[in-house]
Amino acid sequence: MARDLEVLSTRARISRALLGGYALAIYVFLFAPIVLLVLFSFNANRYGTFPITGWTLTWYRQAFDDYQVHDAVVTTLKVGLQVTVVSTLVGTAAAFPLVRSRLPFREGIRILFILPIMIPGLLIGVALLVLFTSTFHWTLSPETAVIGQSVYTTPFVILLVAARLQGFDRALERAAADLGANAFERLRRIVMPLILPAVFAGALFAFTLSLDEFIITYFLIGGHNTLPIFIYTQVKFGITPEVNAVASMLLAGSLLLLAVAFGMPQFVRVVRRAFLHARVA
Amino acid sequence: MTVAAAEPPRAPLAQRLGTHLASYGGFIPAIVLLGLFFLVPLGIVVCYSFWETIDYSVVHHWTLDNYHYFFSVSAYVTTMWATLWVALVSTAIAIGLAFPFAYWLSRYVPRRLRLPLLVLVIVPFWTSYLLRVYSWLTILGEKGVLNRLLQWTGITHHPLSVFLYDRPAVILVLVYLYFPFGALTLYSSLERFDWNQLRAAMDLGASPLQAIVRILVPQIRPGLITAIIFVFIPILGEYLTPQIVGGTGGVMIGNLIVNFFQAAEYTRGAAVSLLIAAFIVGLLAVFRKSLSSADAYGA
Repeated sequence: MARDLEVLSTRARISRALLGGYALAIYVFLFAPIVLLVLFSFNANRYGTFPITGWTLTWYRQAFDDYQVHDAVVTTLKVGLQVTVVSTLVGTAAAFPLVRSRLPFREGIRILFILPIMIPGLLIGVALLVLFTSTFHWTLSPETAVIGQSVYTTPFVILLVAARLQGFDRALERAAADLGANAFERLRRIVMPLILPAVFAGALFAFTLSLDEFIITYFLIGGHNTLPIFIYTQVKFGITPEVNAVASMLLAGSLLLLAVAFGMPQFVRVVRRAFLHARVA
Repeated sequence: MTVAAAEPPRAPLAQRLGTHLASYGGFIPAIVLLGLFFLVPLGIVVCYSFWETIDYSVVHHWTLDNYHYFFSVSAYVTTMWATLWVALVSTAIAIGLAFPFAYWLSRYVPRRLRLPLLVLVIVPFWTSYLLRVYSWLTILGEKGVLNRLLQWTGITHHPLSVFLYDRPAVILVLVYLYFPFGALTLYSSLERFDWNQLRAAMDLGASPLQAIVRILVPQIRPGLITAIIFVFIPILGEYLTPQIVGGTGGVMIGNLIVNFFQAAEYTRGAAVSLLIAAFIVGLLAVFRKSLSSADAYGA
């Protein structure tokens, strides 16, 4: 607090003003492309660019009537929900021994759990493509995409839940045990309520990441389309306002999830703890 | 199994197994998922890279041909160096832009405004990666915003196609994509810096730049390295950005990998994949200390 009230020299004032202007420019740089994308989705101009020739919802109507968009939305949600369930369950289960056990290879396991985040998705995609098609002789489907996405989203759940467990006072559990609670009761009445925000944050992360995931899905989904894949196939033929409309809806979906997340103070705390104040590897 | 053996015998076997299952059982699903669907496929890629493709089928015959082939085609080698170059330049620009921003956020912004302003940086990051690449087409394209602006102001009369489909466009979009990552990591490091040290240095006669370079930077070094590595590594594996805005001039190694796999040349694709993967794992191993150090994120 004292820092905020600090008396600044003229030079410091100038550098503060300059840096403030710079930061503003950065925000413009970050948001301009996204804002333009949304703007053009309402623009009557059918080339999806300036000038604005009038406001319209035509492109949205077109997108809603497009059966390909329908299929893509259904597939995206189906895959997203499956990925969320898989990675939340697997990730939460793994976070416990990661934090609490004194396993000889804990460091190795920790690295295994972090590596899928560090390795580019492209490599995960091609490696799984080889496994599924050449080794297992499976047919590619939304389910194979679910497996691929889960490999990449589960580590995020592990990180979030593990960070929460690290700050967990185990005396609470011992107290419950002293009072006669068995392992299951302790889990249900003490542990679960305390880690629930992190589990929820993990689920939300997994769902959002799945919604937007491109490269792994591109290799593993076979003939089906998720929304990002659909947009990509359309972009090959040039940008159209209809694609802008689909893109804006996907954007709105992600932002809605973000708003829900940051509307909850626990979420902010959990994510802050996991990503700003935790060890990476 | 080794786990149980490593523990000194204390309780009856069944009870010990029960305790171990309770302690380590949670790992089982994750080990199955990440072992079977991450480690095993990576292992298969390693094998494939040393096998041969004959008539579209993979023959289990150990050879270095895939690597020889890659290094014998000069276009591939050029692409490899170009990828490293693009990754270095984009990382340098992204971190160079992120540092003053993080500095501003952690030094001059009142505490209660910091989190909202930080969230604003993360918002684009949270939105679709594909959309963020795609949105640049509406700016840089021939009918894009930039061309409209230039024509409207009378600087040019015909739309220019120079903004897209080359390396500069790729670098611009990569900087755009990875700036938030750099800013976030640097901020979490700078947030813990005691600014009095900087003032003390300047009181003792250091210029602001000297004070930053000699006092601030050494102290946030782990965070700085983390930021650089976290921006550099994903860029090495980029596929979508060069594919959408890069054209033929902006091809990166990720595009080569995809081309090999789409042409069913699995073994050659595997060799290139392994080159990148090995390079990345090497980087992570070299900078292991900075990355795992508590200071990087100021735990």
